[in-house]
Amino acid sequence: MSDPIKLRATVKDSTGEVRVLMPHPMESGLRRAPSGQLIPARHITSVVLSLNGRPVIEGALGSAVSANPLFAFQLEGVKAGDQLAVAWRDNTGQRGNAEAVFSAA
Amino acid sequence: MKHLARRNFLQVFGSSAALSILVGSGLLKPGMALAVEFNRGAFEAKTAADALRLIGAAGAESSPDILIKAPEIAENGAVVPIEVTSRIPGTTRLSVLVDKNPYPLALQFNFAAGATPTFQAKLKMAETSRLRVVASAAGRHYTLFREVKVTVGGCGE
Repeated sequence: MSDPIKLRATVKDSTGEVRVLMPHPMESGLRRAPSGQLIPARHITSVVLSLNGRPVIEGALGSAVSANPLFAFQLEGVKAGDQLAVAWRDNTGQRGNAEAVFSAA
Repeated sequence: MKHLARRNFLQVFGSSAALSILVGSGLLKPGMALAVEFNRGAFEAKTAADALRLIGAAGAESSPDILIKAPEIAENGAVVPIEVTSRIPGTTRLSVLVDKNPYPLALQFNFAAGATPTFQAKLKMAETSRLRVVASAAGRHYTLFREVKVTVGGCGE
């Protein structure tokens, strides 16, 4: 299983700053093991960020996103206590998700 | 047409009230929100021209209202930090391509109301390449590119 997602959600003057780190190997399928065999592709293909249950950012990722993807986003009209959720799925069908509550910066 | 269906879904159920009812009633689990409709085929494209065509942005016009922050020289192609912002009103999607990567389309983000069209990410770059951003707003596409020199590539080997 993957390590837990690290999610940080802070709000200042109704602007929410989100930082999310999703531990994942993001194997492109182009690398070879020392044995010479190709390492199968395994990378996150979709990510959704939801604010109070409403999807606000949807992402489609390719294999060119670095290992352990780290993203930062900005949401408007956010207040302390609002709920943030993030969920991902990879090309092998594995999923991950996490939730956080916005706190004042 | 799937794409249109998704749009309609967001328009109909886009309010948090409607969604929380669905979530609360167990009809919609958080994981289900992952039915993101993008053209996955574009991520398999092997040239930037093909990828641009597949995301519908072949005729994108150059725009100074897209901001790209990226290193001029990236020492480690496995982790190239970028920051992208669109100041084009009504931007709903940002796409990033690395022209010379084996699969140029790196990522796409959709922004609903309340989400500022900006993000930071880290990308792999196989070699020195043009980093290209496409911003989509009201069915039109705008683009800007930046050259990033890579000293040690980060895609294969």
